[in-house]
Amino acid sequence: MSSIAGTHVRPRDAAAVAEVLRARLGRVRLHGSGSRQQRLEPVPGALALDLTGLATIDRLDAPDQTCSVDCGVTRAQLDDALRPHRLELPCPGDGTLGGLFASDPIGAAAPGGQSPRSLLLGMDALLADGTPFKSGARVVKSVAGFDVHKLLVGSEGRLFVATRLHLRLKPLPRARVAFANQALDREAALRLLQQLRELPHGLQSLQLLRVAGGGGGWNVRGAIAGRANFVAATLRALSLQESDAHPVLHLEAPAGGEVLAGLALPSALPRLLAGLPTDAPFLWHGGGRFETTLPVANATDRALAALASAGGHARIVAAAIGRRGLGTPIDAGHRSIADRLKHALDPHDVLC
Amino acid sequence: MPALERELERLLGERAVLTAPDALLAWECDGFTVHKSRPRAVVLPNSTAQVQAVVRLLHAAAVPFVPRGAGTCLSGGPTAGADAVVIDLARMRQVLHVSTEDLYAVVQPGVVNLDLTTAVHHLGLHYAPDPSSQSVCTIGGNFAENSGGPHCFKYGMTVDHVLGAVIVLPDGALCRLGDPAGARLPGALDLTAVFCGSEGTFGIATEITVRLCRDQRAVRTLLGAFATMTAACRTVSDIVAAGLVPAALEILDQATIRAVEASVYRAGYPADAAAVLLVELDGPDDVVAEEAAEVRAFMQQNGGLRIEEATDAAERKRLWKGRKGAFGAMGRLNTDLYVLDGVVPRTRLEEALVGISAIGQKHGVLLTNVFHAGDGNLHPNISYDGRDAAMTARTVAAGHEILQLCVDLGGSVSGEHGIGTEKLDHVRMMYGDADLDVMARVRAAWNPDGRCNPGKVLPSRNACAEVAKWPQMIAKVLDPEGGA
Ligand SMILES: Cc1cc2nc3c(=O)[nH]c(=O)nc-3n(C[C@H](O)[C@H](O)[C@H](O)COP(=O)(O)OP(=O)(O)OC[C@H]3O[C@@H](n4cnc5c(N)ncnc54)[C@H](O)[C@@H]3O)c2cc1C
Ligand SMILES: Cc1cc2nc3c(=O)[nH]c(=O)nc-3n(C[C@H](O)[C@H](O)[C@H](O)COP(=O)(O)OP(=O)(O)OC[C@H]3O[C@@H](n4cnc5c(N)ncnc54)[C@H](O)[C@@H]3O)c2cc1C
Repeated sequence: MSSIAGTHVRPRDAAAVAEVLRARLGRVRLHGSGSRQQRLEPVPGALALDLTGLATIDRLDAPDQTCSVDCGVTRAQLDDALRPHRLELPCPGDGTLGGLFASDPIGAAAPGGQSPRSLLLGMDALLADGTPFKSGARVVKSVAGFDVHKLLVGSEGRLFVATRLHLRLKPLPRARVAFANQALDREAALRLLQQLRELPHGLQSLQLLRVAGGGGGWNVRGAIAGRANFVAATLRALSLQESDAHPVLHLEAPAGGEVLAGLALPSALPRLLAGLPTDAPFLWHGGGRFETTLPVANATDRALAALASAGGHARIVAAAIGRRGLGTPIDAGHRSIADRLKHALDPHDVLC
Repeated sequence: MPALERELERLLGERAVLTAPDALLAWECDGFTVHKSRPRAVVLPNSTAQVQAVVRLLHAAAVPFVPRGAGTCLSGGPTAGADAVVIDLARMRQVLHVSTEDLYAVVQPGVVNLDLTTAVHHLGLHYAPDPSSQSVCTIGGNFAENSGGPHCFKYGMTVDHVLGAVIVLPDGALCRLGDPAGARLPGALDLTAVFCGSEGTFGIATEITVRLCRDQRAVRTLLGAFATMTAACRTVSDIVAAGLVPAALEILDQATIRAVEASVYRAGYPADAAAVLLVELDGPDDVVAEEAAEVRAFMQQNGGLRIEEATDAAERKRLWKGRKGAFGAMGRLNTDLYVLDGVVPRTRLEEALVGISAIGQKHGVLLTNVFHAGDGNLHPNISYDGRDAAMTARTVAAGHEILQLCVDLGGSVSGEHGIGTEKLDHVRMMYGDADLDVMARVRAAWNPDGRCNPGKVLPSRNACAEVAKWPQMIAKVLDPEGGA
């Protein structure tokens, strides 16, 4: 185990992580590749437990289309290992797999598409006091016992340390073409979005995007997958423009500004957009998540109030310290169960 | 009549509370008939408010209670102890809202699975998870069991289709999970996914929001009959390895085929085949046509004795009739049927089937196999006579060994039927004390007093007496010399 600056440890395996936890060194913040840390509230004095040392792909059963990976394996590392087998982990996101599943920043890429919740089959994990436990299984279907591993998704490192993940994989489609129809006006963009959503087959990702400084124009982007002739016919039928641009996964906060992340049904998009500044950068993923950036805190508060009154959900994910994590109210019953789960799994509030 | 029952009648009306012993007979078990117990009372609420009122009352009186849908569970999940009240949700069967634009429906828990698809059929939509019991089982039961079905190979289990729910917690408080726009709210835990599969032990779902899918333009069903089970399994491996994702991949073995063909579920399967493989493909017309040709080629390569293709609804229905009626057809083989449910990695199906057959022979039990081959989810069925104690004991012991085999091959003791009381003993094949302790902590966060569906899922000293006898019974069969 190596120690960096006294407050940063990088164990090499799960046993060493357990040893760190058993030493009870106070509060602990889990780190994957760290890409999302600036979106969390800092906790002064917390030990940074860097999990990137746990970086082995333990098992890749290509014919079964499942694998088991250490939590510090990166998305890129897994993608490289899967490519020769013509397999993929069919959900967006990068960083380490532990970080990706614990933060679930994007959800599904397309309506009804795969998201981390449906790809996580099981896990090996450690409680905050270092006790090892497991949940779920390695096979694609199991309903034995309670699905504690599903609590990893969105837990942001506050419930337990997932040291190994058992994942479901999918075959690479025979053909996949990315498209980007750019500089559309709002109505044309929403119309195209609707046409794409009506496809009963082949839509692998879908995004509605307005970028900063884009003159207010809208982009509809995504990917169509399947057999080559079907993909080509779909692109033609909907006049989709092929594009080799990488999908945009997140919006960056402007200097002094904030990023708001939330959920929006397609039918709610026109109303949601009407409540935002006309040039606010905006990104909606086909699975229902959106992000928007707002120039000042006041604008965010107004957007949150409008969303709350319409029954919508969002929270601030990037902002000055003190405002991160604020958002529309969460149901009291939900909050109470979440608090009880935190207390049940980490009674001394070690993981932060 | 005791005060509690009087109070229940005051809350729900006389016709919604059953207490007479004869009236309770229908609630003494589910599809797992080995475990029977008559509850203290059954109540039939018709709204979230009524469920809440009942639960508050029972909570205050410290009386245990058990939610129930249609009672088709195969693991004893909705069976209640003699001190418990069954909260039967059958009267809550309204589809509350359908959004054709955003593709979701909000339903009450007692809505029957197939009724939801029927209700949205004219809109070109359907609800994808399709347990074989779909004409009877409820969406509430499906949510609580995380049920699967033949089409879950492509479309996923119930958890992949539930977006949110209203839950009456075991103290009567309400909890709202998820949202039609997404099951996990920003910054929140995915409690919808964790509730799914909790087998009625975390609370009672009184409103469920589910995703609806668009109907596919074309559907084709292929049947391949093979001289060996190995050839059928190899065809499945070839299909999966080629990157094809059929909507369903189902196998029936020879004993099942013969039982089906001798029953009212007759589908015209060749009775001399060792295995029948059903493959369903859906999607755009030309895609489905090309994929069907590939599947046909794999069937031929593996020596298919007969290959049939159904392209219209009537033919498709015929091919599926035998598969869907398989459990019913087993009724011909003996008085009782023990439906097992285990999972192995898809690469180890053949090995598992050889092992299962050997276990059947060792115990001298009549075994048939119907399974979701695409998911590695096996359903070995043992036909037995429940009046014959020795045969029952051999049946239970064979079941125990089969599930151990699944775990030894890297699989699970349940792919879709849950633990209930049936598998309290088997859970330990997969999980150690620390794992079960964490699960118990999670359950306690929802159900701190343990009065919501007690004695299910996690083995405990309080597990019902019937089930506690199982380990001794199994030990006795496996080691007749040593006894137990
Ligand atoms: C260069 C780069 C830039 C990115 N920029 C952004 C961005 O601006 N906004 C954005 O939303 N996403 C961004 N992402 C994507 C996103 O951060 C990743 O998909 C992933 O969510 C985080 O992975 P990570 O390894 O960086 O984890 P981290 O950021 O280190 O951790 C993410 C969360 O997961 C927890 N965690 C990590 N590992 C575990 C574990 N094993 N068990 C339990 N909890 C754990 C952490 O405590 C933390 O709460 C970026 C990714 C990269 C690579
Ligand atoms: C012939 C046959 C075929 C089957 N095929 C399949 C199959 O293909 N796939 C499959 O997965 N299963 C299958 N099953 C099993 C069974 O049908 C499923 O488990 C089904 O989901 C149970 O639904 P139900 O409405 O009958 O629930 P019940 O049996 O009444 O209850 C099941 C569990 O759910 C709980 N519960 C019920 N309603 C609620 C609620 N509203 N809130 C909270 N908890 C609740 C109960 O307490 C119980 O623990 C089959 C059963 C039979 C008899």
